[in-house]
Amino acid sequence: MASVTFKSITKRFGGNEVLHDVSLRIADKEFLVLVGPSGCGKSTLLRMLAGLEETSEGEIHIGEKLVNHLPPRGREIAMVFQDYALYPHMTVEENMSFGLRLKGIAPDEVDRRVLRAAAILQIEPLLKRTPRQLSGGQRQRVAIGRAIVREPKVFLFDEPLSNLDAKLREEMRIEIAKLHQKLATTIIYVTHDQVEAMTLATRIAVVNGGRIQQVGTPTEVFGRPENMFVAGFIGSPTMNFIEGELQLADGGLRFKTEGVDVPVLGGTGGEPAGPAVLGVRPEAIAIERGEARDGAVPAEIEVIELLGYRKNVHVKVAGVKALASVGAAFGGEPGERVGLRFDPAGVHLFEKATGRRIR
Amino acid sequence: MIETPRSRDILKAHHRREALKTLLVHGALILACGVCVYPLLRILAVSLRPGDRIISTDLAIIPQGATWISYIRVFGETNFLFWLWNSLVITVATSVVGVALASTAAYAFSRFRFPGQKLGLSFLLGTQMLPAGMLILPLFLMIMRLKLMNTYLGMVIAYSVSSLPFSIWILKGYYDTIPRSLEEAALVDGTSVFGAFYRIVLPLSTPALAIAFLFNFTQAWNEYLVARVILTDSFKYTWTLGLFDLQGQYLTQWGMFAAASLLVTMPVMAVFLYSSKWLLTGMTLGGVKG
Repeated sequence: MASVTFKSITKRFGGNEVLHDVSLRIADKEFLVLVGPSGCGKSTLLRMLAGLEETSEGEIHIGEKLVNHLPPRGREIAMVFQDYALYPHMTVEENMSFGLRLKGIAPDEVDRRVLRAAAILQIEPLLKRTPRQLSGGQRQRVAIGRAIVREPKVFLFDEPLSNLDAKLREEMRIEIAKLHQKLATTIIYVTHDQVEAMTLATRIAVVNGGRIQQVGTPTEVFGRPENMFVAGFIGSPTMNFIEGELQLADGGLRFKTEGVDVPVLGGTGGEPAGPAVLGVRPEAIAIERGEARDGAVPAEIEVIELLGYRKNVHVKVAGVKALASVGAAFGGEPGERVGLRFDPAGVHLFEKATGRRIR
Repeated sequence: MIETPRSRDILKAHHRREALKTLLVHGALILACGVCVYPLLRILAVSLRPGDRIISTDLAIIPQGATWISYIRVFGETNFLFWLWNSLVITVATSVVGVALASTAAYAFSRFRFPGQKLGLSFLLGTQMLPAGMLILPLFLMIMRLKLMNTYLGMVIAYSVSSLPFSIWILKGYYDTIPRSLEEAALVDGTSVFGAFYRIVLPLSTPALAIAFLFNFTQAWNEYLVARVILTDSFKYTWTLGLFDLQGQYLTQWGMFAAASLLVTMPVMAVFLYSSKWLLTGMTLGGVKG
């Protein structure tokens, strides 16, 4: 078990800089999820930690040990790859024991570790099969088993569930969460799926454009996004953004734009008045049928999607499209004029020019 | 689906078209097989003819008075076994050396980025465009200066270098289809870069290695021109040179010639049959990037 520290990491491919001065500390036994869109640099960061990519600048420490110069085999890590990377010419047992045999560990100990990992992952009946005889989910378990038997200091997962179908992905997500509880090891997990990030992580690092945008617990990242990128990336369905003006009125702060005039709770008067973006999560919008009254924001329903237990109501408000997530009992119809009320706890304000959080 | 008289007619017409297509394809294949096999059958016929009927217009595959005498004379009156042994040593050594060199060189071309990589690959391909005859003189000079005339080593060097470019291309194409993540997983598991190549990539490349081995084997086994230049000692002759010696200015031993020709195809046939499953899989897998 060990902590991991990235100090001012920069990575260039030729003249193209893909990671810019990234610093991050992951505590011992922490489950950190690096989440971001494709091409943001999250996998590159993980591969640099694994020793599969050179570091252009900066230092990587596992525990107290500087590992920049060490080959992958000297870093005491184990990695689960997106495409499983199981050796096709070996059986499941051989795949899992490959690293241990290379290390020269005694055969009895190898068998003990393989059987223990197989029991944890419930793949004992598959030990004599080859990868091609396994389903996608079974392959994923074997790939995780191969990592477990090595008893590494740090587990690295590079989008391990992205090749699985939705149902299997959900099952494996739960398996991985259980595994972290059972093994109590440091895990660094890369994904572009914010649901995986939210459900698995003890802390999330949101990455975009080669920079870490925010690091925090899932609750912090979801409830208090530091910029519009994080606000838009974390949460499903995604946050609605409405551009407007922050104005001081009646001794309080109000957000105003075409047809919208909402008080901003907690405004101290210290916030800069001027152009701003209001962010509101779909779950924080309540819809009142009929014309907007008593300060409700006027809107028009465009499309309604029934999801079973909820309805996604697409509306047009202040000239922009927005989405409200309401109970399945909502009875509105497309084309109907409605009033929207925003839950003040679900409202966020961002600077229009920089996208940074105002409060 | 509900079957109606109209849909039945459509299905019948479809089956007729499929049957006709199958018939045509099989007919063409049988014809192609005949074209390939018939010359061999003619050689077999000549090898079985008794001495007084060697020059005959008889087209029977098993001739009248068929005899094994030509085969017996090949073993009894010539250095055929020497030639066969020489060919076998040179061919096997060439194939092993050629595949060993090509497998590592192809790996470098497939996995590493280095200056001149693309140029090098194009150059290798370019060497295959040169007619073999053009290389005879440089090869002769090189082998002579290395004092390797009339040696197995000289022949192995000459044959290996000429087969290398093709083998490198075949193997590089195959390595390109093997996901890099397998080697990366091996590196994380504790191998070195060479270990990942040796323990993961090579075992997965058996089809392509088999193709490269067969190519080297057949090239070296059937080669005549280079052998003619490098080997002058008749005890070092390969079978191609030995067989040529059966042709005299006034008299050619056609019976022995035909018998020896058939005998020398056997090792190649054996290697082909043994590795045919690898060959077929290899051709499919190596050619398709997936």
